[in-house]
Amino acid sequence: MKQTDNRSTMVLVVLSAAFCVLIAAFTFEWWGVPKPLPPIPLVDPKFLETKTWRQSYADLISLEEDVDHFDCYICHEEDKKSVLKFDANHRVIIPEEHEDIVMGHGTHGRNNDCFNCHNDKNLLLLQARGIESLKMENSTPLCGSCHGPTLRDWEAGSHGRTSGYWDRSKGPYKKQDCVNCHDPHSPGFPGRRPAPAPNHLRHVSAPSAAQPSTQH
Amino acid sequence: MNADPEKNTNDKPKEMDRRSFLGASAFAGVGLAALAASLKPLLELDDLTSMEKFLQKHYKELSPDDMAKVLKRIEREVKDEYGVTPDVKDLKPMDGVEYVYALNLTRCIGCRKCVHACAAENNLSRDPELQYIRVLKMPHGSLDVGKSNHDYNPESVPEKDHFYMPVQCQQCENPPCVKVCPVNATWQEADGITVIDYDWCIGCRYCQAACPYSARHFNFAKPSIPKERLNPDMAYLGNRPRKMGVMEKCHFCIQRTRVGKYPACLEVCPAGARKFGNILDHESEVYKILTTKRVFIQLKEELGTSPRFFYYFDV
Repeated sequence: MKQTDNRSTMVLVVLSAAFCVLIAAFTFEWWGVPKPLPPIPLVDPKFLETKTWRQSYADLISLEEDVDHFDCYICHEEDKKSVLKFDANHRVIIPEEHEDIVMGHGTHGRNNDCFNCHNDKNLLLLQARGIESLKMENSTPLCGSCHGPTLRDWEAGSHGRTSGYWDRSKGPYKKQDCVNCHDPHSPGFPGRRPAPAPNHLRHVSAPSAAQPSTQH
Repeated sequence: MNADPEKNTNDKPKEMDRRSFLGASAFAGVGLAALAASLKPLLELDDLTSMEKFLQKHYKELSPDDMAKVLKRIEREVKDEYGVTPDVKDLKPMDGVEYVYALNLTRCIGCRKCVHACAAENNLSRDPELQYIRVLKMPHGSLDVGKSNHDYNPESVPEKDHFYMPVQCQQCENPPCVKVCPVNATWQEADGITVIDYDWCIGCRYCQAACPYSARHFNFAKPSIPKERLNPDMAYLGNRPRKMGVMEKCHFCIQRTRVGKYPACLEVCPAGARKFGNILDHESEVYKILTTKRVFIQLKEELGTSPRFFYYFDV
């Protein structure tokens, strides 16, 4: 009888010692607080921008911005015909007044003549094959005079950017013009830096070039 | 104490002396203290469900009055947490509308702007990061998602000899995720959008396992959204802030599309690769695309999920 009493006391003492250790462990977090992960930086707001990367002449007019750059006769003389100069490879020589222009329209430099698109008699107008001369702000039919299938797709809404309301009865809808996304002198869509890659796998493993895996 | 019950049965009950009482009390005290210490993490729970929320009915059983109260409660909760008064709406599907998304694989340049515009519009957790859209990079001439990469980070996109395929919820006509939900917390609406009632979800993640597109995401931690980036334009089934332990997924920006606007991923796409609209309207962009363009795939169409998300090519 005495022996069982002693044994139960022993058990209780050992148990309470274990509990004390647990109390201390829970209270002081002996197994260590997990190291907080480095915060994920917020994405640069430039990646949330919904504007097109370039503005058309029509946009500039409607925003009442400075369009002097488009007034050819500030420099050109009205009654003097502009003459194009070509180099030995028959590539048009860009005068230094127009050095911001990169001639890159068409593969193999085939579209290499300013007056393929500009009216040579009135520089304020655009000129295309088979259609009347167009005002500068109405350039889409000019592009379409060569790029027929793309114009067809653009009209149907399958090419190009749209914004606003899909339900036309509820609000305005805007279809961007060709020149909002394509530089007419060099219309290839420019490359850009992509927005940050996802971070969501970093909890599992983050193998990167900077930190080689220590597993082997 | 209970150390010797077998002895007490035949004798008269033994009285406890002072010494053993004190000893037993000390043991009990230590035990209770250990229990309390082990429950310490409960102190860090600040996001307890209110009684009002606990007693809330299923979305489809809420009367308009109930819904008004629920929206008030959500407004209050958002105000308390973010200091912004949101405009929370319960938007219903429009009549004669079925949404379809079409994505032009020829045009997508893989810039991931859609991923981040989606996070901003839909109040997705920024840290830990949760994203509805994944942009897969694949080599030309193949369409093997197993060989795709979503961690690309070059100086400039698009990269030579590669194309990009953004994947998000495909809004299936035959959604496997809805079938497996044990509590009907997710369902397909009349306009084709599969939605989740975040207040009804129990977080079992069956739907995540059922989805062949990895389009459903679980909030393992409390979502964190910087106050200044919270979008106050909210919908009950859409972008209202979620809590820890519930699922979420792309809902075609329900707070935008059900008032007639384009989704946020479409608005931000610099290449015009994303197209959205009502397939029942024969004048809509998506109708023209699906009837005239080379619509190449519905992703994993052999599974019979019949996505409302189509990938197409320019000829």
